[in-house]
Amino acid sequence: MHIPDGFLSAAAVGTTYIISAGGVANAVRVTKEKIGEKHIPMMGILAAFVFAAQMLNFPVAGGTSGHVIGAALVAILLGPWAALIIMSVVLIAQCLIFQDGGLMALGANIFNMGIIAGFGAHYLYRFIGMILGGNSRSKMVAGFVAAWGSVLLASIACALELALSGTSPVAVVLPAMAGIHAIIGIGEGLITVAVLSMVMATRADLLRLQRV
Amino acid sequence: MKHSFIDQYSNRDSLIHRLDPRSKLVATLAFIAAVALTPSAGWLVYCLYFIIIAALILLSRVPLLYISRRSLVIIPFVLLVAIFIPFFKEGEVAFGFNIWAWHLSLTHNGLQLLWSILAKSWLSILSLILLTSTTGFASLLKGLEQLRMPRVMVMLLSFMYRYIFLLTDEVMRMKQARDSRNFGGKRLRQMSIVGNMIGTLFIRSYERGERVYAAMVSRGFDGHSRTLDRLHFSRLDTCFITAIILVLVCINLFNLYY
Repeated sequence: MHIPDGFLSAAAVGTTYIISAGGVANAVRVTKEKIGEKHIPMMGILAAFVFAAQMLNFPVAGGTSGHVIGAALVAILLGPWAALIIMSVVLIAQCLIFQDGGLMALGANIFNMGIIAGFGAHYLYRFIGMILGGNSRSKMVAGFVAAWGSVLLASIACALELALSGTSPVAVVLPAMAGIHAIIGIGEGLITVAVLSMVMATRADLLRLQRV
Repeated sequence: MKHSFIDQYSNRDSLIHRLDPRSKLVATLAFIAAVALTPSAGWLVYCLYFIIIAALILLSRVPLLYISRRSLVIIPFVLLVAIFIPFFKEGEVAFGFNIWAWHLSLTHNGLQLLWSILAKSWLSILSLILLTSTTGFASLLKGLEQLRMPRVMVMLLSFMYRYIFLLTDEVMRMKQARDSRNFGGKRLRQMSIVGNMIGTLFIRSYERGERVYAAMVSRGFDGHSRTLDRLHFSRLDTCFITAIILVLVCINLFNLYY
């Protein structure tokens, strides 16, 4: 879902850069307030964790393989603002090291995979947790839906940006992107649930961290 | 350590490698912005851009095969999005065909848009690859900091960069352990194994983060990092930046008036 350069119009680039820059600036302020100067080494190392976790492939249909985005996982474990910082650091590094996602499209990529995916997952997780109650099975259901939803929401945002840029008509790109990512998101959901249940079984205290 | 894939070729020596990271960053940004602002189907202009970037790549002496293979990273996204473009734009029909009950037709406008987007995104990615394969990540970060990127972001990025190698090694070890115990079985089982691996990685990273922070505090960390600045902007940099920007401006003026 990393948008390369050349796909977005100047208006889309400008708007998403402004929103993402504002979001990241606020995220830095909020995490600094809540966890102090510890946030810098911690967020840096956890960004490296997301980077490394994305190297673990799992089989998808027909011999292809996928990897997790990880936005939902960090949003559930650490909170949406921390997830926004971590994902934007990961995306900047992916752009500058692997050219995964363009430089002009960086604002849009941070918006989709940091803001939309992170906050989407956070609110879905809280909302479903509230409906189903606090036992561990409902937490797993909430985790699955949150991770699946984060991928879907991010792909919808991505499709809308492309449509607004005039790259592809909205009637085509929206169902195509959302349809493909509704399937990809199942993998993200299953992996996220597996991670959550593993952390719950071994280090349940980490699930009760202060979220930012 | 198996991380040779990260900023490969950035420690070689050439005219481009010797430039200040700031001038390379500014030049890359100017180039990508110029490419993005060029109207679609400006084929002559795209060719001129290509000549510039090709000349710089030849000067940098980074292997061509490496650069062209690297530039294929955009393909999946291009396929996902661009494949729909020719079919759904209005305009004069280039050719049409029938598949089962569907009638598909390609229009000239749609094809033109598709080729323009492909050309633009390929040119942009070439310039990004040139930037990162001639500049080490550490000096890139230093350049970004001097170009007024917020300090906190630069510190976060440099922390991440430092630990990518350790955690990548950790992942490689875990993969090796998994594969030597026969990673098979049903898809769901494989997924839960990958989930456990990521969970373990998270716990280890979190604990490492706490240890690192404790070690830093005991050595007087107060939320700031102090580094020696050894970047210097030489005459070569001034010439390079001026040349690039002049050429880009000339190309765009030429495109406007002819």
